[in-house]
Amino acid sequence: MDRKNTSPQGETARVLTEFLEVAVNCIVFLKGFYPPAAFERRRYMNVVVQKARHPQLADYIHSATSNLLPFVQKGLVERVNVTFYDKEHIPLEKFVFKIDVNQSYNSKVEESDIGFALRAFLIKLTVAKPATKPLPPSSGWEITAYFRALPQGSSKEKEAQLWIPTDTKQWLQPPDITPIKSMSSQPLKVQLYLEHPNPCEPKKLEE
Amino acid sequence: MGSNSSDRPSSSVSSFASAAASGGSLKRSRNRTPQNPLRSTTKRKSPFADFGSYMAEKNRKLGAQFRADAASVSSLGSDGAPVDSEEDKGVFRGVSIFVDGFTIPSSQELRGYMLRHGGRFENYFSRDTVTHIICSNLPNSKMRNLRAFSHGLPVVRPEWVLHSLAANRLLSCLSKLQQDHVIGKQAIACFVEVPSLCKLACSSWVNICEWRAQQMDTLWAPYQLVHGACKQQKLSTYFRHQSISTSSDAKGSINHDEEIKVGQNHSVVPTDGQTSECGGISIQVGDVACLKSEEFSQARDANQEPSASDMVHSTLTDPNFVENYFKVNSRLHFIGTWRNRYRQRFSKLLTGVKSSNENLKCHSTKQKTAIIHIDMDCFFVSVIIRNFPDLVHKPVAVCHSDNPRGTAEISSANYVARNFGVKAGIFVRDAKVCCPNLVILPYDFEAYQEVAEQFYNILHKHCSKVQALSCDEAFLDVTECDVDPEDIALAIRKEIAETTRCTASAGIAENLLLARLATRSAKPNGQRFLPSEKVELHIDALVVEDYLNDLPVMELPGIGYATHEKLKKRQIQTCGQMRMTQKEGLQKDFGEKIGDMLWNYCRGIDNRNVGEVQEAKSIGAEVNWGIRFNDMTDVGFELELYYTSTGYSECKALISVISKCYAWMPLTHLQVKKRKQGAAEPLKFMGCGDCQNMSRSITVPIAIDNEAALLRIAKKFLSSFHIDVKEVRGIGLHLTKLESAKITRKGRENIAVWLSSPMHATRSKCKQISQSDKQCDNGDFLFSSGPPESGDLDSSHKLDQDKPTLLFQDAGSNCSSIKGADCVRPIRSSVLPPLQDLDIDVVRNLPTEIILEMDVLYKGELSDLISKSKGNNCLTHVCSSTVSLIDASTNSADAGISDAHIDSVKLGLDSKDKGKMPICENVESISYVDQVTMEPKLFDLMPASLSQADASVFEQMPEDVKADVHGLLPLHRELKVSKDFYTCFDFPSCVQFPDPHLKTHLWSGDPPWWVEKFNTSKNILLNVISRHAKSSKDIRLSSILQSVAPFLLPVCELSNEVYAEAICWLHELLAQYIVLKIGSDIEEIYNCFCFLKRISPSSKILLLVYNSALPLFQVSAWNFDVLFILTFLMFSCLLGSIKVFSVMFGLSVLIGIWKNGKHVFLL
Repeated sequence: MDRKNTSPQGETARVLTEFLEVAVNCIVFLKGFYPPAAFERRRYMNVVVQKARHPQLADYIHSATSNLLPFVQKGLVERVNVTFYDKEHIPLEKFVFKIDVNQSYNSKVEESDIGFALRAFLIKLTVAKPATKPLPPSSGWEITAYFRALPQGSSKEKEAQLWIPTDTKQWLQPPDITPIKSMSSQPLKVQLYLEHPNPCEPKKLEE
Repeated sequence: MGSNSSDRPSSSVSSFASAAASGGSLKRSRNRTPQNPLRSTTKRKSPFADFGSYMAEKNRKLGAQFRADAASVSSLGSDGAPVDSEEDKGVFRGVSIFVDGFTIPSSQELRGYMLRHGGRFENYFSRDTVTHIICSNLPNSKMRNLRAFSHGLPVVRPEWVLHSLAANRLLSCLSKLQQDHVIGKQAIACFVEVPSLCKLACSSWVNICEWRAQQMDTLWAPYQLVHGACKQQKLSTYFRHQSISTSSDAKGSINHDEEIKVGQNHSVVPTDGQTSECGGISIQVGDVACLKSEEFSQARDANQEPSASDMVHSTLTDPNFVENYFKVNSRLHFIGTWRNRYRQRFSKLLTGVKSSNENLKCHSTKQKTAIIHIDMDCFFVSVIIRNFPDLVHKPVAVCHSDNPRGTAEISSANYVARNFGVKAGIFVRDAKVCCPNLVILPYDFEAYQEVAEQFYNILHKHCSKVQALSCDEAFLDVTECDVDPEDIALAIRKEIAETTRCTASAGIAENLLLARLATRSAKPNGQRFLPSEKVELHIDALVVEDYLNDLPVMELPGIGYATHEKLKKRQIQTCGQMRMTQKEGLQKDFGEKIGDMLWNYCRGIDNRNVGEVQEAKSIGAEVNWGIRFNDMTDVGFELELYYTSTGYSECKALISVISKCYAWMPLTHLQVKKRKQGAAEPLKFMGCGDCQNMSRSITVPIAIDNEAALLRIAKKFLSSFHIDVKEVRGIGLHLTKLESAKITRKGRENIAVWLSSPMHATRSKCKQISQSDKQCDNGDFLFSSGPPESGDLDSSHKLDQDKPTLLFQDAGSNCSSIKGADCVRPIRSSVLPPLQDLDIDVVRNLPTEIILEMDVLYKGELSDLISKSKGNNCLTHVCSSTVSLIDASTNSADAGISDAHIDSVKLGLDSKDKGKMPICENVESISYVDQVTMEPKLFDLMPASLSQADASVFEQMPEDVKADVHGLLPLHRELKVSKDFYTCFDFPSCVQFPDPHLKTHLWSGDPPWWVEKFNTSKNILLNVISRHAKSSKDIRLSSILQSVAPFLLPVCELSNEVYAEAICWLHELLAQYIVLKIGSDIEEIYNCFCFLKRISPSSKILLLVYNSALPLFQVSAWNFDVLFILTFLMFSCLLGSIKVFSVMFGLSVLIGIWKNGKHVFLL
């Protein structure tokens, strides 16, 4: 990607997607989806984080997040979910990154400032284990993004085509929410919270 | 020998000195007696017992040496001139000096004098042996603590020794006092010998006094000149200090020359406040025996306060700097503003002149014109020195500061001084070099004003046609008078001299130019007639031709430095030479106008008429001295002062004269002097130094006629320079193109001018009609056009008087009247729409130029609002989304005027309610739900119903997704939720929800609206909560809840209604809080709910509230206004390549995975 994006939104978006990549890595590690040996310790924004060693896993996370960049820049992305499913592909747990990039913000944004704020997310993530629920066997996970509009204009671009519309199974009841970290600053608002199915949800599952 | 001299009876010298001396020598002789045996002992035990004994021995030895020397000298002296030496010896008899530090003559020379003239010289100071301390420089610490230093002994300068020698008697040290104060590098040494108890107190006193006098000399200027009789004042300040010193001397019963002057001081003291104060001081000094220094310093402070201290005289320290700058120090300002005062004063006469102008022209053709140019001789000086006859023949200059090293500029000098080369505009220090005796006096503007008035009174008395050039210079047209112009001039001059005690010179000729030139040669105090032809009466008089022939071109008015240089290159030095050149040639070189002027002038032709007074076309003020700012607020402040004190007052004066026919200044021009990069502090103290001039001008679309608007524009202007205010060295503001209000009213097509100008209610009718036309023309969609309310303007006029700052009286008062009468809502604004009626969202998205233009119309308030609303972004969002929700079904024209302004949110929502009802009915009848829970429109993050979703998108969705979507829609879900809510809550049927209030936004405002609402409610529970909310600064709900919880718990037995109401309100509060915070701070909401959950077991109310509100939280958090869920394509690719993946995966990991039997990826 063009690193020398001059607009503050571009800069913010770049930092944000970078952060998302790291955060998704951390979440996957946190959930213990793969054995710990599949990760290696790295340092990002001066925080110890885990990064997938397997090239394909790493590549998946990397390309998924980095390809979000143009959409984040345009302000299309409303939230990014890391969803964990059971074997019926029914979501069990969602890590939700709710993103709001102020498109009309004009002044210069220091990368380090955003970085400093996002750093808190990573720290909080490393200790979020108690809030999560253990996964049953044969589960799976994916990254989904909720868009405000379908990316039409840019569909010709190659990387834009990588994000495709999908339909996921939804809970029928409002979920339980456990916030992990919120940040609200001028160009960028990010909230990270956990969604768990409502206690009355399993009834549906049984049907 | 020493003992001999001491035993000698004291003969001729002053009694006290000899008495002291003999006492001292007695002591010495007493000391010496025990020393004699000691001498032998020390010789034996060579190392001294201690330092004291060593010093004693050393002193003794030195004393012995001195005596030996003295003996030899005196024997020599007695050889040479025995009689003289006999008398000589007496001079310093009994005096024992100690020399401290460097002196001229040196200490050795002084020692020599002492040797020869019977004194003693001590190498080491001792209270017992020394009688005088000699020094020329004293460090500050010793000055301050003179007593500790001198042990009460007199401190004298070395000159005292010499003078005493010259006078051949021991002079009193005191007489040195007045002559001998010197400013060393650090301090002034001063010398007193007052044989009284308080002599040392006095000496330190006098120190202060002298220092003070020095100081005063440097700073007397700024303040005192305001008052009359400057010279006297100066003297009185000086004498005041003298009197302080002398009266303290007088305490020591020493008669002093200066005392006479003290008396004089008292007689001189004028009656005004400041000086009577000094009079008071001097009297006080005389009365009180021993003044404490605090008293003095207090008095000094009192003096100093009004006169802005010189060292810190800048905008930084003195908030009234600019005002004082113009009031007190600026001669140019005086001259500049003089004309307006003159106009005011002589306005009647002036109009007379104007009306007779026509006649004049007829006359001029028939009769030979006679013009007198009359000019006061060095006006600014002579007005001052008329009270000081002794100064008349001395060089005198006028300047605002009299610091001899100062960089103040001389503003005027008398003829004596001019002969020395002192000119206006040179620095004081240079002037002092030219003319060391130059007396510098401060301005006295009151006197100037007075004299100028007298001057013009006389002129108007003698002649009806007077054209004022300046406060001291005028043209008279005496053509119509029958008397000989020379006689008139003579009479006028005589009268001027009698009335004003200042002299004037006059020039008489047939036109303005020649008259002026004649005056120049007539000066000082003379008059000259320049006849155009030889007349019998004036055979010896020079004719114009001859006169002009030799006149240097520089003398002609209108020829400045640049033109002169050009002419010089052309070898043109005199008018005679200039006449040789062709008119065309001059016009080619200097431009048509100036060329023409030169050609005419060198021939003595001047076609101007007396009395052609031009109206002011521009007005301006500039300060470039002492400007130092710290930050922007200073600037604003300064600017404010600036207008009030200068530009504005000028303009006020101007307006008062030309009142009804002029509006002002469509063109504003702001000039800023910025310190050049790297330029050092300027040569001139607090001057502007090397500066970079930056200027910017703007044509204000409307005529400005008030100060506040001008100020705002100027501030904005200044900020557009983007410079560090600390670098600013000068600011000037000029308003040009002053326009007649009549023209403005007639001519401009500009709507704003048009709007602002009709202040006259009489025109209101036609204005309002064409108003709407204009709006259409301008295409200004922001203006809501409509039939104007009658009586609108009347009320606006009334408000005008209350709000003079409002430039757009009509618009402004409209705005306020609407504010005042919110309930009478549909008042259509007839002029500018009130600010709060603008949709800020729309405004913000307009092109910047348009915003700026509108901003000007709103006098800068719009930009404030925009910046404010940025902070309110989230709220705006809520509002605008509600608006868009309604847009579909309501008249968009109405809804377009919405606003972020909180007040109007209420109104907006109210009005929207009407439009909203159809939606609800269309989709589903949910009146029940609507009552109980919140309004659907508050869920701005989700679409209210399917009608909001893009139908085409919805169609393309898979069936299950469609079902999901349907399930998500709040209208469906809400029903369920609220039903749940009711099932878990045995709700008393009698309870009515306060539904009308539910529609308002509880969290808007600061403090939030609900705080007030709860406070006024009758419900105890709510009262408790609001009280806590008020006391805590943090308006986060979680913290409020935490603080209030302990008080809620004990509240147990209450009626069902109170319960229900409280629950409803709290529920509503939470619900709206969720809406407010869901976008930015889920954590906060979560905290609230966690807290509620935690304490809900003990409080039924909170449990119910928690249960009812929790679903809302989950819904709104979960909900999204977008239905496009995208997944990453690569992921689906991966599905097909799991095998590849497994192969590539590290072996150990692979085993682990298989062991766990997990799917690597999804499914």
